Amino acid sequence: MSLQRDPENLEGKTLHRFMDFKDKRILEVGCGEGRLTWKYAGVSSLTLGLDPDHPALRIARADCPPDLRERVHLTGASARHIPLANETFDIAVLAWSL
Amino acid sequence: MVHALSEIHRVLKPGGILLDLRALEDSWPVEIVSSAGWQVSGRLEALPGMMEDDEAANQAMREVESGGWFIQTRVEEFPYFYYWDAPSEMKEFTEADWEGLEKFSEEVFRKTASLWASANADARVRMRVRMHIASWQKA
Repeated sequence: MSLQRDPENLEGKTLHRFMDFKDKRILEVGCGEGRLTWKYAGVSSLTLGLDPDHPALRIARADCPPDLRERVHLTGASARHIPLANETFDIAVLAWSL
Repeated sequence: MVHALSEIHRVLKPGGILLDLRALEDSWPVEIVSSAGWQVSGRLEALPGMMEDDEAANQAMREVESGGWFIQTRVEEFPYFYYWDAPSEMKEFTEADWEGLEKFSEEVFRKTASLWASANADARVRMRVRMHIASWQKA
């Protein structure tokens, strides 16, 4: 199958035009396989991806670009109970998950 | 959904931003695209369950806004494209991966296949998804 998703990267371009991720602490709720995460995590100071879907997280961990491994952390959790302290993040991203 | 938004509100710093990025359920256009341009061959059929999910998401955001948790600061829409080399590949994908979400009807498939067959040799088929992006500041 020859499926291509967003080859123009309109999603990534819109995201960066919309929001400045530079040096921010970012929480992504519903990060799945990390498809969107890799588009902004490189400029963040720290990115935490949450998803209750463990098979998707395994793929995300395997696919995480080497240069992002120090600043991206992936955790199996649901948005209903975020296992984190109060007032920790500058930006929360709900990516295709609300 | 509102409980999840309250959790997000809790972990955001004062003045932090919630970004809501999602596809809006709609009858997404199917297009034939080639070096000569593009044309619409029809539309997918949005199935009721997904339309209800959209409304539930919008309702949740209205609730947190009226509750004073977040203030919307910006909202836009943009297109997101899925491309296939041939209509049959798109049909195979929608039937396997989008059952219950969007339906590629036989009538639209036939029209798409016909337009694709008569288009330039480099013609592909694509679907135009309507995307929503909004930023909400923690109040």
